[in-house]
Amino acid sequence: MALPPSLRTSITPPELELVASEQLVEIVPLVSMERTAFISGAYGPLRPPTKCKVPLWMASNLKLKKKCHIVPPSWLNVEFLQERLLRETTDPSFSEMPFRFAEVAKILLDVAPDDLQNPEKIRMLLKDIREARQAKSREGLSKLDHNELMLPNLCAMEINEIRPFFVRGMSVLTHLTREPAPVDPNAMEQM
Amino acid sequence: MDDDYYSIESILAENQKIQCTFKIDVPEMGHLDGGKAGDIKALSKVQIPLWLAYILVYSDYADFTIPPPFSARVRNALNAEPRSVRLSALVGQGGWWYGFGRMIMNLLNDVPAEELSGVLTKTFRARLPDVIDQAQHFASLHATSGTSAGDAGAAAFREGMDGTERELFQLAQDSARRTKAWYETSERGRR
Repeated sequence: MALPPSLRTSITPPELELVASEQLVEIVPLVSMERTAFISGAYGPLRPPTKCKVPLWMASNLKLKKKCHIVPPSWLNVEFLQERLLRETTDPSFSEMPFRFAEVAKILLDVAPDDLQNPEKIRMLLKDIREARQAKSREGLSKLDHNELMLPNLCAMEINEIRPFFVRGMSVLTHLTREPAPVDPNAMEQM
Repeated sequence: MDDDYYSIESILAENQKIQCTFKIDVPEMGHLDGGKAGDIKALSKVQIPLWLAYILVYSDYADFTIPPPFSARVRNALNAEPRSVRLSALVGQGGWWYGFGRMIMNLLNDVPAEELSGVLTKTFRARLPDVIDQAQHFASLHATSGTSAGDAGAAAFREGMDGTERELFQLAQDSARRTKAWYETSERGRR
């Protein structure tokens, strides 16, 4: 199957969302369910009103059918995100964010805004954080080297977005850079 | 721009002509210059394409001079402001300036080759942030509002982009567009 060039080295955002949905979140179920086996593992039993940990895909499914309430993860609140935003705007390096925060946050904001305190503010904070990080990755672009690149604390969606052209740019630089070592003319090797 | 035999970019980049001085007599090959038949005398100057010149220089049948796209005038312009030079205008046929430069670099001895490599990498690194910026800017616009985007400088830069830069532009634009579209879709209607 012929993939378009930008997909040859990266995956699509909905696929990343699917991968992120395997993460466990806590829910407060409103219905009962026995311990059931799914493909990825056995979850339950659900005994309201006891909290239970289930995968995100199951939580959002139940939520859309109004059969549970989702407990937001510890990082998805205004104070935490504000503190991170401050760190993001003052530090030149990327601050630590949960690896799949973009996907998890988007799903929770979509299906369960009533379970979060102040979802509008959270949306705005996430957008600001994302823009601050994008500006930093753009700076990292100008320091592109053909040998190595280190961008610590970058998150899954961001990596996926910059991977195609970062990798291609590095390979172009590899072709263009000539090391001082002597080149065997018969080998026709590029450095 | 690889050493891959089948790489279309390499084939196009190699198709440029350079000025070569033959060191020996070559009988019956006068038509290489296009037109006149007869012999090539030693010390005569002929314009031949790079893929042919490569073998001739390695087998020591000819010498060559650095072609116009990499002359001192161009290098000075690049030193002054890399982003204002129109790379696609320097070479014909859609412009593969970097690929052409790389082939020339492989033909040179160490010192001029490193110099040329420095010019190429510096130019690439200086232009890359602009390429990516424009790509991300275009990712957010819909197809209909194309002309409103440019001020004259940005549009001129886009036209002056070399083939390799155009590939990077497309990669960046595609991945940015895809990520942006994902952020804007909402799950609620779908599930």
